[in-house]
Amino acid sequence: MDKKRIWEGFRPYVLIAPAMAGIFLFVMYPVGYLIYLSLFKYNLLNKDKSRFVGLDNFTQILGRGDFYKALWNTTIYTAGVVVLTMLLSLLFAVWLNKKGRFNSIVQAGIFTPHVVSIVSISLVWLWLMEPNQGLLNYVLKLVGLPPSDWLQSSKTALMSIIIVSVWQAIGYYTLIIVAALQSISPSIYEAAALDNASKFKVFYKITLPMISPQLFFILIIMTIGSFKVFDTVQVMTGGGPNNATTTLVYYIYGFRTTNIGYASATGVLLMAVIGLLTFVYFRLLAKKVHYQ
Amino acid sequence: MKSKWFTLLSIMVLFSLLAACGSGGTANTGNTGSAGESPGNGTAEAPSGGEGVTTVQFWHSLGGKNGEYMDALIQRFNESHEDIEVVGTFQGSYDETVTKLQQAIASGTGPDVSMLERAYVQMFADAEVLEDLAPYLEQSGISADDFTPGLMGHSYFNDKLVSLPLNRSTPILHVNKTLLDELGLSVPTTWEEMKEVANALVVKEGNEFKRYGVSMPYDTWYPIAMISQAGGSFFNEDNTSIGFADNGAGEKVFSYLKDLQSTGALYYPPAQDSGNIVNSMFVEGKVGMIFQSTGSIGGLASTVDFDYVTAFLPKDEVYANPTGGANVTMLSSSKNKDAAWEFIRWMEMEEEGGLEFILQSGYLPFTKQMVESEQMQELWAKEPNRKVAYDQLEFAVDTNKDVAWPEIMHEFFSAIEAIMYDSKDIPSTLDTFKKETERILAQ
Repeated sequence: MDKKRIWEGFRPYVLIAPAMAGIFLFVMYPVGYLIYLSLFKYNLLNKDKSRFVGLDNFTQILGRGDFYKALWNTTIYTAGVVVLTMLLSLLFAVWLNKKGRFNSIVQAGIFTPHVVSIVSISLVWLWLMEPNQGLLNYVLKLVGLPPSDWLQSSKTALMSIIIVSVWQAIGYYTLIIVAALQSISPSIYEAAALDNASKFKVFYKITLPMISPQLFFILIIMTIGSFKVFDTVQVMTGGGPNNATTTLVYYIYGFRTTNIGYASATGVLLMAVIGLLTFVYFRLLAKKVHYQ
Repeated sequence: MKSKWFTLLSIMVLFSLLAACGSGGTANTGNTGSAGESPGNGTAEAPSGGEGVTTVQFWHSLGGKNGEYMDALIQRFNESHEDIEVVGTFQGSYDETVTKLQQAIASGTGPDVSMLERAYVQMFADAEVLEDLAPYLEQSGISADDFTPGLMGHSYFNDKLVSLPLNRSTPILHVNKTLLDELGLSVPTTWEEMKEVANALVVKEGNEFKRYGVSMPYDTWYPIAMISQAGGSFFNEDNTSIGFADNGAGEKVFSYLKDLQSTGALYYPPAQDSGNIVNSMFVEGKVGMIFQSTGSIGGLASTVDFDYVTAFLPKDEVYANPTGGANVTMLSSSKNKDAAWEFIRWMEMEEEGGLEFILQSGYLPFTKQMVESEQMQELWAKEPNRKVAYDQLEFAVDTNKDVAWPEIMHEFFSAIEAIMYDSKDIPSTLDTFKKETERILAQ
């Protein structure tokens, strides 16, 4: 009997042990090592030449203009992508909510970019946005608008990257929102119709609160994802022109061969920023989310 | 049910449409030489086991055609050496090779011999992972003077001979002679002439430039060349700061470039894929002259349909040009140093080793013996463009040698972008760059 009780006490831990081992090995340990590296002027090739520098890397980062530039770019990028994607996919979802053959085609169409590798997408847009021979400028000229330099001017480069990311992301999030919309019980809408509620009010008072858990999920996932953006930048601009599109992760990547300690310290800061954001979201928005 | 199938079908149709669009690669050529075109040249040969055969691992960065030439070289070596088997592995571009070397050396799985882009040699040497080759040279009766002097700039570190030149190149001026002749212009030899010729080549229709004068890939190489031409040096003599801010050379170079850019005489390409952009503009006649690596001579000569010549980079106060490409190094961690040295020696000195590779690929000959060889002289008689590249080595000077160069290069790119793309104030940008450099060098 006693044996059984001991086993019952242990059982849950034994059951989660494999998962925990994985998390420890692939999450906790690397994070710990990242923090360890961030305190060194680390020489990858020859450990004996590494120097412990304490918090020097951090003071250096916080004293450098290009770090703030990268942080600022990342913030603008995240804000742009999150807001635009949320608005547009909500709009598309409300539109596509009604069944119909045409709607199926559109839905399939806007979902397609999500299936394609982001690297291919970036390359295709790289052509489209080419200032002299690209399709976008050709169309702009055709309708009598002034052409843009797109990726080649520091004024428009970040905007161009945002456009590509939004274009790629919309389909996936539309799909999630459509699913959410369809799970709302029609009886609620019927009740509202009986009360002669206006369309806007129905949307604002019923639809939005009912899909708020999904919207909240999208908000968190997209904020974190956007803060870690890398592939589009790497393929399309390489962080340029003049650091106009250097995001935090790309900034870290830039130091991969020359100063791994400095790169690690920036990684620690990135982790802190994302952690803080997620925390704030949960505190501020958790009350507004309506779970059924 | 029907609508579900319809959705699936439309997804498939759209998907196949997108797939048909395809995608090109982004080989960043025009850099310091040309490396990494097509992967898939993985391991050249599988090691064939056997009694008393020593295996030497060799990592290189040559893809595409040059990769094939390198594989052929390795095969020639293996056929002539029964007791040594060299296994060549293509590791991607120069930068990728460096990243992989760093990881491999740290985990004790590095190769015996590796190709190393010359600007990284100092960084590796400082970490004490490169073998001093001087004793081996002596043992084989080779003198350091046997090599082309202009290419030995990155070979020494603290009086140790840590690398030998292999696939080396320099920037050079490529000229569309047909275009110049049509306009009655001659190939420029000074900055002043360059300015006149480049401006004369410009064709403008409305607000659009149909033809530019001169262009160069986005790289630190060309500004560095011009800094030396204007009498500056990249680092100052004791490597504590840059050597082109206070003497005005940097300002002179960049205001010259901005001046040309403002009239369309200079086309400064976007950073991504700039080497290919510049090359194709030159081939299509959209630009009359380009600064580009000597490694492009072969490719350009076979594609252009006009009279194509090469010339020295124009001089300001002096003729000057940096060098590029990669060296070969032996790693201290190697367990088969004698076999590794035999491979390096054979590749550097033997006729069927390096010479054949150089003849095929178009890289610069790196030993005096090679230069004097009949085959090289014959080739030069046939293709004078290649001889110009070698002759220019007389003025080769590398002033960006420091352990911290890779890190400083990063900052220099920022300065170039600020000036060339955003027309930021030149003196203040150079001043910021100078401060960053001094901070990094002081570490």
